[in-house]
Amino acid sequence: MAIDITVKIAGEAGQGIQTVGDLLSLVCQKAGLYLMGINDFESRIRGGYSFFQLRISDRPVYAPCPEVDLLVALNQKSYDAYHRELTSEGLSLIDIQGEPLANQVAIPIDELAAKAGGKIAANTVAAGACLGLLGAPIQILEGILTDRFQNKPGNVLEMNLSAARLGFDHVRDIGFFKKFKWKMESSKGALIDGSRAIALGALAGDCRIASFYPMSPATGVMTHLVSLADEFPIVVEQAEDEIAAVNIIVGASFAGARAMTSTSGGGFCLMTEGLGLAAITETPIVIVNAQRPGPATGLPTRTAQGDLMFVINASQDEFPRFVLAPGTPAEAFEITIRAFHLSEKYQVPAIILADQTLNDSIYIAEKPLAAPQKVERFIVDDSRMESPSDYRRFAVTESGVSPRALPCNGKALVIATGNEHREDGHTSEVDSDRITMMNKRNAKWPAMLSEMLPPETDHGESDILLVGWGSSKGAIRESADLLRKQGVSVGAVHMTDLWPFPADTVKKILEKCNRFFVVEQNSTAQLGRLIREQTGLAHNGAILKYDGRPFFPSEIVDGLKRYLS
Amino acid sequence: MVTIQDFDCSYENNWCPGCGNFGILSSMKEAFAALDLPPEKLLLISGIGQAAKTPHFLKCNLFHTLHGRALAIATGAKMANHELTIVVNSGDGDCYGEGGNHFMNAIRRNVNLTLLVHNNKVYGLTKGQASPTSDIGMVTKTQPHGVIAESFNPLAIALSLGAGFVARGFSGGGEQLTRLIQAGMKHQGFSLIDIAQPCVSFNKVNTHSWYKKRVYDLQQENHRTDDFQKALELSFLWGDRIPTGILYQKKTPSFTERLGIEKDGPIIRRKYDPLKLQKVLSAL
Repeated sequence: MAIDITVKIAGEAGQGIQTVGDLLSLVCQKAGLYLMGINDFESRIRGGYSFFQLRISDRPVYAPCPEVDLLVALNQKSYDAYHRELTSEGLSLIDIQGEPLANQVAIPIDELAAKAGGKIAANTVAAGACLGLLGAPIQILEGILTDRFQNKPGNVLEMNLSAARLGFDHVRDIGFFKKFKWKMESSKGALIDGSRAIALGALAGDCRIASFYPMSPATGVMTHLVSLADEFPIVVEQAEDEIAAVNIIVGASFAGARAMTSTSGGGFCLMTEGLGLAAITETPIVIVNAQRPGPATGLPTRTAQGDLMFVINASQDEFPRFVLAPGTPAEAFEITIRAFHLSEKYQVPAIILADQTLNDSIYIAEKPLAAPQKVERFIVDDSRMESPSDYRRFAVTESGVSPRALPCNGKALVIATGNEHREDGHTSEVDSDRITMMNKRNAKWPAMLSEMLPPETDHGESDILLVGWGSSKGAIRESADLLRKQGVSVGAVHMTDLWPFPADTVKKILEKCNRFFVVEQNSTAQLGRLIREQTGLAHNGAILKYDGRPFFPSEIVDGLKRYLS
Repeated sequence: MVTIQDFDCSYENNWCPGCGNFGILSSMKEAFAALDLPPEKLLLISGIGQAAKTPHFLKCNLFHTLHGRALAIATGAKMANHELTIVVNSGDGDCYGEGGNHFMNAIRRNVNLTLLVHNNKVYGLTKGQASPTSDIGMVTKTQPHGVIAESFNPLAIALSLGAGFVARGFSGGGEQLTRLIQAGMKHQGFSLIDIAQPCVSFNKVNTHSWYKKRVYDLQQENHRTDDFQKALELSFLWGDRIPTGILYQKKTPSFTERLGIEKDGPIIRRKYDPLKLQKVLSAL
């Protein structure tokens, strides 16, 4: 029988939910299981309601499940809030005095932690107890704790080992319906969240300069990059605001470094001016927009897909750009590498459209993350010029891409301006210069379009296709699986390469089905609108969710059934 | 030997005849020649405004960017390649209005560049509105009852934020301005030269002759440039006597020194190492 278990660890912000979640995730990874864990938290440092919801399976999982098998309630308030999500045989681990309810397993977490050596080990007690209920061999957890604490001074390691054992032993004899045989296979892939995948993709894309202003849920990308900045040739600078962040990377790129920034929608608003500067000066930059609900401050710590139309159109007037949207960490890693490559090759901005669910959730990346052996640069110097003193940064070419030299790197002078300009880079208000430069920039579109990967289809021959993008990929695919099992002919289409829009390939895919529905985390079906604009094909319906929480597969199943009935 | 003529450029200059910018442009060329810096070794970065057009009017590498953002862009360029010699041309509106936050933070970071602020106390390119440095009471088309906000004091702000080179020049200062630009460029760290400049079209108060009567050279008066309190006091002096010259100078580690990136050569010249990265990836 397939393993499919959902563990929810709930408590107040600051109670150590993350620590328990990390330990459980690591144990599952080491045991060769698949997992997907979402982080749900409020915009606060202490108190409130937070949870980490971990789905564990022996098959790949990319979506959360709403039914909870094991609720670790770190306080009474969390039990009260979430016990209704427990399945009929589900249990809740809770530190209570007195007689537990039928679905409660009382565990004196703090007392056991104190016994182990300190209340600080409470999270380790909880992790040990969870694994005890699930029937896991404790040796994996002990190994992880040893790796983590063996170099800490004093009795930190002994305390944690003891805490894990006390928690584990306290519940080991309790019958739990989801106890399963742990096969102990080798790890199925990297344990990684979207933020880290983007950060590592940036290093693999040879990013040298990163600048940012802190903003949820995009800060994690930079936190991960900073943690590697001492080992790799990259400098990360926290800017005074998002306007500075984007302009710092424009300046860095102008000087020859691959450069990126990461932000969320509100910060992206401030960056649109710099985006335009990068565009008119044909300076490559990569911007990550990790979406959250808006407008304005919106829901700071939650998820959304409401910025698609915005990023495609952001900044005044018209210019070519790439918009790529990853659906999993493995995709985020690959897309970030491509974003740097494409941005530099075509000298245009590339926008990575991520979202809170992708950035903050952990997954097992089935595809190995591979660093490219070489990084192809698209820069020229005097040695490639007949006459460096005649160099013109914006020389007209058939492809629209002009040879790009760097300032102070030879005799060739690099002249660039955010004003409309001549081929030599000097400002011009001559009408023919304006037309020449607009046409030159627009000439890049066909080649850029040819770089776009087709959507990924699963059961593309089905009568009905569910079309989506971003982190809801896993939920959409799983909902199609569920519907097929119920006899409905449904396939899934996942788009990552959104702009330039690959209209021909999308049209070919969608023309084959009888009906298609878009599944999106916005309120107006933005991808559906884009598909109609670009292909003339109108979606037959839209399954939309915009409460700031990620899609569950069952919600999509229900959403489609409403259309079919 | 680099000569002033090496910076001659055929691009048409479109400033008003008599504009103070011409004096600044001349002093820049003279300073670059005196420092033996040829056009290809110079990167001029500017924002938007009449001052920000300056780089187009001499031969150099140049990035004429957005209103207010020149310093942020220069910061990024310096991070990528700390060996770049960067001079930023900005104006009072560009630097102290639109770019105020970047001005403060470039000083805080101590980015090693020279900032020339062409301060004519009025908006020129948009035709005569008050600027952050307009004196209180100045009447313009958009401030018909006179400016009501206090004037922005760049020198005092720069000093208070720890700037290591704070100077005031005068566009009609000729050789003195050339010397100031040279000294600013030699200073290893952020150098601010706020340049008092008339606007022949829109500022009928602070004219060339108005300044001529008031400006004096601190370096002619044995001013000690290491006296912070005195510098701060001088930064508030504006009226019958207007001090010019270096108010304050002190060497502190520059931005890229503080980042610790200078020892291994410019970031853009480092090597990509796939093996090292693969180790990190495989450990996940």
